Amino acid sequence: MARFVWYVTKRILSYIVMIFVATSLTFFLASSFMNPRSNFEQRTPRPPQESIEENLYRTNLNDKTPVIERYQVWVTNLFTKFDLGMTPTGDNVNREMSSKFMASIELMTPATILSVVIGVSLGVYTAQRQYQWQDRFLSGVASVLLVIPTVVMAILIVFAAIEINARAGSRIFYVTDLSSGDTGNFFTWLIDFLQHIILPTIVLTIVSSVGYHLSQRTYLLDEMHADYVRTARAKGLTRKKAIRKHALRVSLIPTAVSVAFSLAGIFTGAVMTEKVFAIHGLGEYFINCINNNNIHGAVAVAAFSGAMTLVGALLADLFAAALDPRIKMS
Amino acid sequence: MSKEELQNKDEKNVSIDAGLTNAERELQADAKSDNKEVKRISYAGLIARRFFRQRSAVIGLIILGIMVLIAVFGPYATPFNYTDADFTAINMAPNAKHWFGTDGAGIDLYACVVHGLGRSLTIGISYAILTTIISAIIGTAIAYVRGIPEKIGMWLLDMLMVIPSFLLVAMIVRAAGGESGWLMLIFGLTAFGWIGRARTIRTMALSLRERDYVKAAKYMGVPPFTIIVRHLIPNLGSILIIDLVLAVIGGINSETAFSFLGLGIKAPDTSLGYLLSAGSSAMLTTPWMILIPSAFLIVVCVGLQLIGDGLRDAFDPYSRAAGSVKDQEEDSSKDDAQLGDLEGSIVSEETTERA
Repeated sequence: MARFVWYVTKRILSYIVMIFVATSLTFFLASSFMNPRSNFEQRTPRPPQESIEENLYRTNLNDKTPVIERYQVWVTNLFTKFDLGMTPTGDNVNREMSSKFMASIELMTPATILSVVIGVSLGVYTAQRQYQWQDRFLSGVASVLLVIPTVVMAILIVFAAIEINARAGSRIFYVTDLSSGDTGNFFTWLIDFLQHIILPTIVLTIVSSVGYHLSQRTYLLDEMHADYVRTARAKGLTRKKAIRKHALRVSLIPTAVSVAFSLAGIFTGAVMTEKVFAIHGLGEYFINCINNNNIHGAVAVAAFSGAMTLVGALLADLFAAALDPRIKMS
Repeated sequence: MSKEELQNKDEKNVSIDAGLTNAERELQADAKSDNKEVKRISYAGLIARRFFRQRSAVIGLIILGIMVLIAVFGPYATPFNYTDADFTAINMAPNAKHWFGTDGAGIDLYACVVHGLGRSLTIGISYAILTTIISAIIGTAIAYVRGIPEKIGMWLLDMLMVIPSFLLVAMIVRAAGGESGWLMLIFGLTAFGWIGRARTIRTMALSLRERDYVKAAKYMGVPPFTIIVRHLIPNLGSILIIDLVLAVIGGINSETAFSFLGLGIKAPDTSLGYLLSAGSSAMLTTPWMILIPSAFLIVVCVGLQLIGDGLRDAFDPYSRAAGSVKDQEEDSSKDDAQLGDLEGSIVSEETTERA
């Protein structure tokens, strides 16, 4: 157990260093490619020069201060006050980001669960029927869906929903945002929420489940022909049971690892979907940051997804340890 | 396995052809024919033969060919230009004069689509070639050096993977604009696009570096870079070529995503992604503005996917699905709609970032 704790601690420490370096690089990258000064200079009427300097200086975004000094201020605030910095307009990034979390979580949780369940089950189903028509059909559809750009898929689904709404004569699906804003009782809120969330969930589920489907199919096919499965069959297990008890468990390891790593994408990965469906989550926030020269906001989103990658990597290790009989960490 | 051995095996198994690999079937077919001399073809010729044997792959190649032709010669087929508006035809549905209709400003959509298709293909192909070269060199170099430099290299790759490259690329390409914005987009996509693939290639190069010919070259004093370029990379050739084709899809997908978000290609230039973003604002009144570019994107991507699958099977010596030998009567029904089994491992890394 002590060895296990030491192992995990070592991993966490190395990841933290990694995230810190990566985030710092992002800070310098953002500082060199974004120009908050232009936000003020392009205003009409153009504000007085002193006011521009004063504003930029106050938000620690002035490009006349050497970038290394701005970086020092930013790092100090981050470590002493957990302050992620200010936007060019003087708002606090922490506050802005926290309001976007809920939308991202509401959007991504059902989609992630659904895509894992659907993707893995389809992968297992098709692997057991390799080259039969079910496999041909489902995997063929999946490999086509895999290459269609997400935007195109989202747009086509919006079209279909509008068509259904028109046919039905009433609004079954909403194609923007996550709620209509009216807060009746819980039940009407839930119905309203479902009407909004169903389309983006369908898009996200399709996009990520095809990946899980095809990779799970490959992994299971690899394992199905392994020696230990043949041994299990020779000992008298049925084919189905041998696959379920032995091959499936091992083939789930790489899938579990990629699910864990997709945690980073859970919060920031839905940029396209959020844009098409006008959902105000972290992905949309990031794009707004980029368009508004909000350096600190963009760095904060990047750092956050870096932290999520850390959590994902640790979870991946734990999943592998739990599923793989060959790994014994204690 | 030497040729003689193969032929021996061939004679033994002549009655049972199920369970033979493609190479064995080919030899068998050669043996059956009257011409006693075994016909020799080059490796490239063999791959080409296996590739063209698959109907789906040929369809993919034809699709790509047509798309390239449209992109190159399409602009000459219309009097309209993608920047000039025809004020007599605003928001027109597709008709004889404006084949794909016009937008709210009267700009001909056909002219936009053929130009945008060219842009998207250029970006996708340049991205694929550049990232393949960079990732091949860096991936094999990290595997080859061993020891502390390898550790440092892996640590750097891990560090670059920590933050989703989508976010980093977005920061760089937002500066893209005007007629040369597409160059900036290629630069941004390439700058962070090679990392994941370099990791995959390094893993594959790990077994190559142990080979005797690598050791021999090393002890004869061949410089490391020459070993990498002359021995390691050519031996990963098949994987690199398959990856190259799939990376074109990745490049086109990224271009679409960034342009749709307003970060990539911007007016006055145009690309399929930009057309989607322009069309999505008036989805209900002018649906053709968005459906036609969407259709083109789907067709291009599916075509490339078919080519990628075809190449994968052509290169895989164990693939039973790479088509049947012509001389044999055995039916080839098993061979179409092949879904590469290697695919998951290569593609799954990219899909997580795609949403």
